[in-house]
Order: sequence, then structure tokens, then C-alpha cells
Amino acid sequence: MKRNRLLITIIAGLPLAVNSAVADESATNNETDIETLKQEIQDLDQKVRVLERLRENDKDDATVAAKQQPLVKLDSSGFTFSSPDTNFVIGLHGLIQFDDRSFFETPPGFKAGSDGFLLRKARPILTGTVFHNFDFNFTPDFGGSAPAIYDAYINYHYNPALQVEVGKFKSPVGLELLQSDSWTFFNERTLANNLVPNRDLGAELHGDLFGGVASYAAGLFDGAPDYSNPGSGIVNADYDNNLAFAGRLFFQPFKTSGIDPLQGLGVGVGGSYEIDSGSTTANYGGLTAGYVTDGQQKFFTYSATAYANGDHWRISPQGYYYYGPLGLLGEYVISDQQVTSGASSADLRNAGWEISGGWVLTGESDSYNGVTPKHPFDPLKGQWGAWQVVGRFAELDVDHQADSTTFAAAGSALRARGWSAGVNWYLNKNIRVNASYSHTQFGDIVGTANAVTKQPENVFFTRVQLAF
Amino acid sequence: MNSLFKLLLGVGCALNVAAQAKEITLLNVSYDPTREFYQEYNAAFTKYWKVKTGDDVTINQSHGGSGKQAQSVIAGLEADVVTLALSYDIDAISQQAGLLPANWQTNLPDNSTPYTSTIVFLVRKGNPKHIENWDDLVKPGVSVVTPNPKTSGGARWAFLAAWAYALETNNHNEAGAKEFITQLYKNVPVLDSGARGSTITFAQRGIGDVLLSWENEAHLALKEFGTNNFEIVTPPFSILAEPPVAVVEQNAKHHGTLAVAQAYLEYLYSDEGQEIAAKNFYRPRNPTIAAKYAANFPQLKLVTVDQEFGGWQKAQKKFFSDGGIFDQIYQP
Repeated sequence: MKRNRLLITIIAGLPLAVNSAVADESATNNETDIETLKQEIQDLDQKVRVLERLRENDKDDATVAAKQQPLVKLDSSGFTFSSPDTNFVIGLHGLIQFDDRSFFETPPGFKAGSDGFLLRKARPILTGTVFHNFDFNFTPDFGGSAPAIYDAYINYHYNPALQVEVGKFKSPVGLELLQSDSWTFFNERTLANNLVPNRDLGAELHGDLFGGVASYAAGLFDGAPDYSNPGSGIVNADYDNNLAFAGRLFFQPFKTSGIDPLQGLGVGVGGSYEIDSGSTTANYGGLTAGYVTDGQQKFFTYSATAYANGDHWRISPQGYYYYGPLGLLGEYVISDQQVTSGASSADLRNAGWEISGGWVLTGESDSYNGVTPKHPFDPLKGQWGAWQVVGRFAELDVDHQADSTTFAAAGSALRARGWSAGVNWYLNKNIRVNASYSHTQFGDIVGTANAVTKQPENVFFTRVQLAF
Repeated sequence: MNSLFKLLLGVGCALNVAAQAKEITLLNVSYDPTREFYQEYNAAFTKYWKVKTGDDVTINQSHGGSGKQAQSVIAGLEADVVTLALSYDIDAISQQAGLLPANWQTNLPDNSTPYTSTIVFLVRKGNPKHIENWDDLVKPGVSVVTPNPKTSGGARWAFLAAWAYALETNNHNEAGAKEFITQLYKNVPVLDSGARGSTITFAQRGIGDVLLSWENEAHLALKEFGTNNFEIVTPPFSILAEPPVAVVEQNAKHHGTLAVAQAYLEYLYSDEGQEIAAKNFYRPRNPTIAAKYAANFPQLKLVTVDQEFGGWQKAQKKFFSDGGIFDQIYQP
């Protein structure tokens, strides 16, 4: 009986013992599994952290590497390449102007100009800065009658108020002349522009003061005659040992005032002085090659025996006003020159004035530096660029002392007066198309009128321009 | 009358000094982990210089991996002084850019090394992987954090310390040492460019079991992240790191700061300079100050680059130049 109970107990207890052993083993296995899982989780956690850190380091390395790469920019201002530390910056820009001129016969059968297309300007423009403070510009022109170097200068800017420019660049006298060729109201500059020097060789101190409220320029140059077209080669042929002084003061008194309607007002005065020692052997006697109309026809030239001999001074009060879509620009120029022809000498005071204006019909703001369309031309989006109507009056009077073939070539007009009207279409910041009509009347003809001066000039211009 | 005269004279002199007080700026291009040290040192030096000369000195700092910093100076970063991790990097500035003479190390005492340091291990609190010596770094499952020896001076010291240890423990067998170092770098998951980056990896990003660290950097980590999270293990063997300092003479002459730059480095050897070094866990050269802070700096067997490797020129060429041993053993 006891043995049976014992056996029963043992037999009954066996499953329990087996279960317990199995449970222990299972628990041990579970603990092992849990530990293994914990370790795997820790390992995975480390892997994720490592990957994140590697990514952080790669990002930092990429940032450092990017700072060491040259910067290349291409936008509406052209191509710009810069070293990572911006010590060396080079920009490539350009200006192409493709024109058409159509002269009207007035009266029928009478016209002097030739109709046709022309490549008015084709300029690759290389600019740059080295070591932060030294700017340079090299601009040749392959349009017009002959290739020429228009600008080649170095400008050291210590700061905006103190800069020194040396080389060949625009003389600081005429306001319309100083405006970029890309942004003048019309294809050609006015009659008054005939009296100011164009590019010249020299050195100039210049700068902007008080945040651009005032600007100044003062330089010594070889000396350039009136309307010296760089393409004619005259500027490079300095014919005497004298230097010319040229300078300009210009004020924008309300520029930083916050008075919106007046911020675009600018007034100033430019001038030059030199003592000419020309001769008949110098190009055009050291005098202008001739004053030209809007259609670029010469209506006045000095006689072949005339030459510059003595004081030559210029003064040009000038100003502009821009407010919203309105743009106005005007100047008055006197070019007073002592001229000798044979045994005769005279102090010839030639004067000119002009007033030009424009209104941007599409509402964009006008400025001395052009118009930027708010909605660049894209007909698919219903965008038509910016449209501007423009007009001007101008006059040039040659001193009546030149009213003889002693000083003036036969057929020259001592007076020219003209007006122009047109429309400019700015497709975008870089492309402009314009069309305009110019009328120029001549008076006070020396002797018998020539092919240009015997009738008014009426010319229709169109232009397609690319500037970047 | 005499008193008035003296008073007026004194005022006049003071005004004269004030009128003539100059404003001087120095650029100190340094290696990665010295930020806190130079912050404190610069404040002390500017005060000292003001009292001595009346001039105001502003010291700008640049920090990064020692090799990278040297290349920056060679490329044109106009440092007045360099305070880098190893003499080879300053030699490179002399040889490649000619900005200081070849014998620059003779300019200041102790080969222009005002303090020394060594490489220690920073481990997780409790040292769960039981890392006590260099051998433990090559065990499977141990993850080691150290910067890239191509850019970091501290990493080069650590590499050489490990190599020296391997040579010591296997009868100077080079093949054995190479195998040892190969295994060590197999356990390195991330190579930061500098010592501070590795500290971030280990202490902030929680990567790795041990950081091979500059001694001062290890103490800074404890200070910043707390002794509850990390502890320092000083192995019984390591390398004597001698971070040098130098005036970049051509730059200092060009800036007109030669005298101040020289004084700036000389002041590192002054009692105040040595105290600041010791407080920031750099081992001072001054024996009196070293004794005062001895408790911070455990004793261990330290070998030098000159003894073990014949100098930095040879060590750099053998281990860290392109195609050197590091390039041979490390595959990212």
C-alpha cells in the first residue's frame, strides 16, 4: 500500500518535475534570448548612430569643400567666376546692338543717309576684381566701322569714397555720355553730346560720398576733342604734350532722405580744361572730326586749315529726375575752343542742350541704369515685358564766328535742332527692342548747303539689343 | 608747488600713454582641443600686456585638426602665431610657405613646447568593456573612437602610441605592430577630422566604447558631461605629446605684431601661463607648478617620438604620408 502510494506520488509528480525542468530551461532560454535581443538592439543602435555621425561629417566636409571650390555664377548680369576667397573675380559680359536706319526723302528725291542694317556695337566686356580692391575692365568693340578698344582700365577702390582709375575710360564730363550705352533712351545720343569728350587716356580720382548723395571725379587726361569716336582712332592720337583736366561733381541730395518723389533727383556739373597745341598735321587739326546728327551724318566740320590752338574749356550743368515710370535727363554744354586757321584765330564758343524723357507704360520704375521688366516677355503666360515711350529735344549751335570757310567746311550748318520720339520694349533685363523717329533741321549754312544740310534729316531707327 | 607739478606731470604722462595706447590684434591658429585653455590664457595675457605697455591686445582664435590648420596657414590664413599639436605641422609651414625659419624650435625653451600631454582612454562609466590597456582596443566587439591621423595631430600621437605599445610587447616586430594597428583601426567606426569632433562623436553622439583622447580633452569631457557618464583610464604606457608653439614671423612682421606675438608665447612659460595650462590639464614644464598639480596627472611610462621613431619627419613619412602605413591598413 505504502509502496503503491509512493509509486503513485512518483508517477503523479513526474509530469510536474518534467514541466518544471522544461519551464526552467525555457526561462533560461528566454533570458538568453532577451539578452541576445538586447545586444542586437544595442548593436543596431550603434550602427544607426555611426551612420548619422558619418552623414554629419560628410556634410561638414562638403561645406568645407564647397568653400574651396571656385564660384561660378550665370545670370542676367553675365558670367562670373570667383575664387573661393573672392580674391579673384572675373566677369564676362556683352553688348550687341543690331540696328536698322531708314532715311526719308524730304522733299522727295532729297536724302543724304544710306538705309541699311548695321552692327552698331558688338562688345565682349571683360571685368574683374583682384585682391578685393583692384577692379579692371577691358572692352573692345567689333561693331561699327572698325574694331577698337573702348575701355581698358584698372580701378583701385580703397573705399567707395576714394578710388583711383587709370587707363582708357569715359571722360567725366557729359551726363548722357556717362550713361551706359545699354540704357540710353534712343539709339544715338543727342546733338549736345557732340560737344563732350568721349573716352580718353588718363588717371582719375573719384568716389561716392555720404552713401552716394554726392559723387566726384577729377582727372588728368591726354585730352580729347569734341565727339571723339573711339572707333575713329582719334583718341589714341594725342597730338600735343599738354594734359587736360576733366572733372565732375554730381549730387543726389534726397537719395537717402526717404522722400520718395525726390530720391531720383540728381544735379551736377562737369567740365574740362586744356591748352591745345594742334597743327594742321594733327588729325582734324586736333579739333572734332565733325558734329553728327542722330542719323550719324556730319553736319558740321572745321575747315581743313583750322586747328586747335590755345585754351579749350567745357562746362556742362546737368541733371536727371527719375520717379516711378517717369525719367527725365537734360544737360547744357559749352565747348569753348581757340581755333586758328591760317592767319586768323578765334575763340569759338559752341553750345548745345538737350532734354530727354520717357514714361514706362507698364508701370515699372525708370532709372539712369535702365528699366527692369516686372513680367519678362512670355506670351504663353500672358507676360509682355515693359514698354516705354520716349521723346527728346536737342539743339547745337556753333559759334557764328565760324560762319566762313576760314573756320568751317563749306556746306556746314552752324545750327542743328532736332526732336525724336520712340518706343522701347524691354522684353527682359537683357533684351530690348526699340523703334524711334528723329527729325533734325539745319540752319546758318556756311556757303552752299551740302548733301546733308540741304534738307532736314528724317530717319527711322530700329534696334535689337542684347546686354548682359 | 612741487606736489602740483608732480601731479600735473603724472596726469600728463597718463594722458600721453592713453593717447599713445595701441590696439593690436593677433591671430592664434591652434589645434582642436585648446579652445578652453586659450580662452582663459588670452584673458590673462591681455591683462598682463595692458598693465605692461598700456596697449590693448585682441586675440582671435582659430581651431581645427592640427594638420588642417597648418595647411590653412600655408594657403594664406595670416596667423601671427601657431600653437599646433606637433612640430611636424609647424615644420611644414616653414618648408612649404617660408613663413618662419627652419630653426623655429630654438626660439623658445624646451623646443618651443611650454607644456606636454599624453593620450589616455575615455570610457563609459563603469568601464563595461574593461578597457585598461592598448591590448583591449583590438578585441572583437570593442568600438574605438579616434580622429583621422591625416588631419588631426592628436590622432597621430594616438596612432604612434599604439604602434609603440605594439613594438614594446612583441619584441619590436614591425609586422606584428602593423597587424595590431590594423586590428585597432578595424574597430574604429568613425574618423573625425579633429580631436574635438571625436569627443562629440563619443560623448554627445554616444558612439563607441572608448575614446583615444588628449589627456586635457578627456578631463574637459568629464567636466562638461559629468563624471556620472564617463571615466578616464590612464594606460600604463603612452606617448609623450609635446605640442609646440611658434611665431609666424613673416605674418607678424607684415602686421607689425612681432614683439607682441613673441611676448604672447613667452608668457606661456610664466608662472601664470603654466598655472593656466595645469588647470586645463596640460602637463606644465615648470616643475614647481607640475608638483602642485601632480594629483591631476598620473604617472605612466611615456616614450617620445624621437626615441621610438627617430623624430617627426621620419614618423610622418613612414606612417601618415600618402601611401604610408595608415593608408595601407585603413579601409573606410
